[in-house]
Amino acid sequence: MESLILELKQQIIEALNLEDVTPEEIDNDASLFGEGLGLDSIDALELIVLMEKNYGIKLKDPAESKEIFKSINVMADYIAKNRKK
Amino acid sequence: MDTTIYVTGSGIISAIGVGKAQTLDALLAKRSGIGPLCHLETCHKELPAGEVKLSDREMLTMLGLADDMPANRTSLMGSIALREALSDAHLLPEDLLRAGYLISGTTVGGMDYTERHYLDMLADDTHLSLLRTHECGATTEVMARAAGLGNVRMTTLSTACSSAANAIIMGCNLIKTGRADIVVAGGSESLSKFHFNGFNSLMILDSRPCRPFDADRAGLNLGEGAAFVVLESEASARRRGATPLIRISGYGNACDAFHQTASSDNGEGAFRAMRQALETAGLTTTDIDYINAHGTATPNNDVSEGTALQRIFGEAVPPVSSTKSFTGHTTSASGSIEAVICELALTHGFIPANLGWTKQIPGGITPTPGKAEADLHHVMCNSFGFGGNDSSLVLSKVTTATHPLPATHHCEVYVRAVSLHKAGEPSADVGKYLPKLEARRMCKLLKSAIFTSKQVLEAAGIERPDGIITATEYGMLENSEKFLTQMCRDGEELLKPTLFMQSTHNTIGGVLAILTKCHGYNVTFSHGRQSLRDAVLDARLQFEQGNARTLLVGYHNELTPTFSDMEHRLYGTRRQAGEASVALLLTTEADGAVAKLEELDLDALLRDVSDGSKPESND
Repeated sequence: MESLILELKQQIIEALNLEDVTPEEIDNDASLFGEGLGLDSIDALELIVLMEKNYGIKLKDPAESKEIFKSINVMADYIAKNRKK
Repeated sequence: MDTTIYVTGSGIISAIGVGKAQTLDALLAKRSGIGPLCHLETCHKELPAGEVKLSDREMLTMLGLADDMPANRTSLMGSIALREALSDAHLLPEDLLRAGYLISGTTVGGMDYTERHYLDMLADDTHLSLLRTHECGATTEVMARAAGLGNVRMTTLSTACSSAANAIIMGCNLIKTGRADIVVAGGSESLSKFHFNGFNSLMILDSRPCRPFDADRAGLNLGEGAAFVVLESEASARRRGATPLIRISGYGNACDAFHQTASSDNGEGAFRAMRQALETAGLTTTDIDYINAHGTATPNNDVSEGTALQRIFGEAVPPVSSTKSFTGHTTSASGSIEAVICELALTHGFIPANLGWTKQIPGGITPTPGKAEADLHHVMCNSFGFGGNDSSLVLSKVTTATHPLPATHHCEVYVRAVSLHKAGEPSADVGKYLPKLEARRMCKLLKSAIFTSKQVLEAAGIERPDGIITATEYGMLENSEKFLTQMCRDGEELLKPTLFMQSTHNTIGGVLAILTKCHGYNVTFSHGRQSLRDAVLDARLQFEQGNARTLLVGYHNELTPTFSDMEHRLYGTRRQAGEASVALLLTTEADGAVAKLEELDLDALLRDVSDGSKPESND
């Protein structure tokens, strides 16, 4: 799980151009949106693309992503359970 | 100055028919044109759309044009609608040479052809000439020539889904200020794989026919088409003995200044546009008999627009429908397509239906199922676009009492400050203007636009201008090129929504509005190098109507190395790749001015920032 979390953080930093953020700075339990990392709805769409591209997980409804993208821990857990690659 | 503006002719083509007669038939029969894709070459065949039921070849034949005419689908549909509009108004092309004007709205432009051959264009010269008709403005020129209007003054607006509505608004302003007698205004937009995939990447396309204002709506269906109205001053209509069909009695343009692709929860931009349209029409809310809503059927739009409608009309919202349930969302053409639908509703006395609705949005508005007979006097037509570019028109039956549009006053315009960013210079540093989190996904052009704009605002001591007018040629080319390249090379999956969101030409104006919290007038011109001249003309129109005392006007254009090379191969001259920005702060106040507007050499400024000019098209 730890390696998945690190890998995921690196992928998020790259996909969302979070140039000055290091994986260590992203709190595993902090909210990705709003107060936490400060991401927005377009970032959520980018994360949906990221999940499909890297893990073969296809979300049909952007509303589903709200729960999944709650924090790095929740997202990594969802990926571990549902990944196709 | 003439303050009464009539529509004396119109033309339309969309998924529900070619021409006004077929369109009326379909509306009355409640027959939607949305269905499986037939002409667009995409792998997303599962997504329904409102396609025009004609191939490009059939349209060429219909127009009597040669098979090898360099006309893309946007210009073919545009020509068909233009010809109908001229014939409906009993106008000959030569009638428009003296005091006429053509204004078209498009965002796709020639992308539908570029995307078919983009990889070939990179590889060799076989299809390179498509670059000539790639830009929005070039598409307008092609459709104008095909309709016999090649020598008429013209320009192109590109404010995404409100483009055609803004073309109509500018047309009215040209007539009001005495700069034209007759303006043919509207828009044309073909489906393209580019924006079909772009909307798909934003996850706002429904795989079923769209259901505007339904609680279970799941997105929009894209459509395509074109429509033009002939706007004419009262004096000109009288002189020609033309029969007015309807009157344009009011209009409003405002910016939501909220988000690039989403509308604010309270629909502030929509609210302001509608309020302004009512005010200029001298009408109250109870005068409006029908509203043709923007009503895209996305979860976001319909709630936001519904809220704005309730804010304006309170408990007594007039019958509302979204005819996108018939045509699909025809994006840049939707403003004029829906204006012509409103004209049909007024002149034939019926209320168009809102198809597909079954379930009430809790607390939301209830759309109308339509009414076969209705005596309509005044109707409202809404068009809202990405970038928060929101516009609203009020159209009235000719027999209603005429209320003069607000008067205009000639005024001197001054330049308070100028800032340039030259192509080839290092990327502009926007660190002091923007938090890193916001700047991280902005392309270089957005940064140079923000930098130069903030510079002139600071120099003028102004935080928020009264309006923002932007000019561009290729728009956000770096992003468009990345999206296009990925789509052509790797296929139509996993495309990046950020790139598409920032590929529309009006992104710059929308972002500047958000940064300056400017809800005022906001449009974007995209007609080659004349775009800046047109933006400056539009600035004068706004000043003369008392809509603004300060306007932020800018030319912001980006040339990627790839497109610079293609231009060089095609035209023989090379323009410097990079982002070129000219920001101007214009004002009606002489104090602190650096020059009068007419003293400013716009061409010299353009040469200064983009190093060399592209030769005029000579085909």
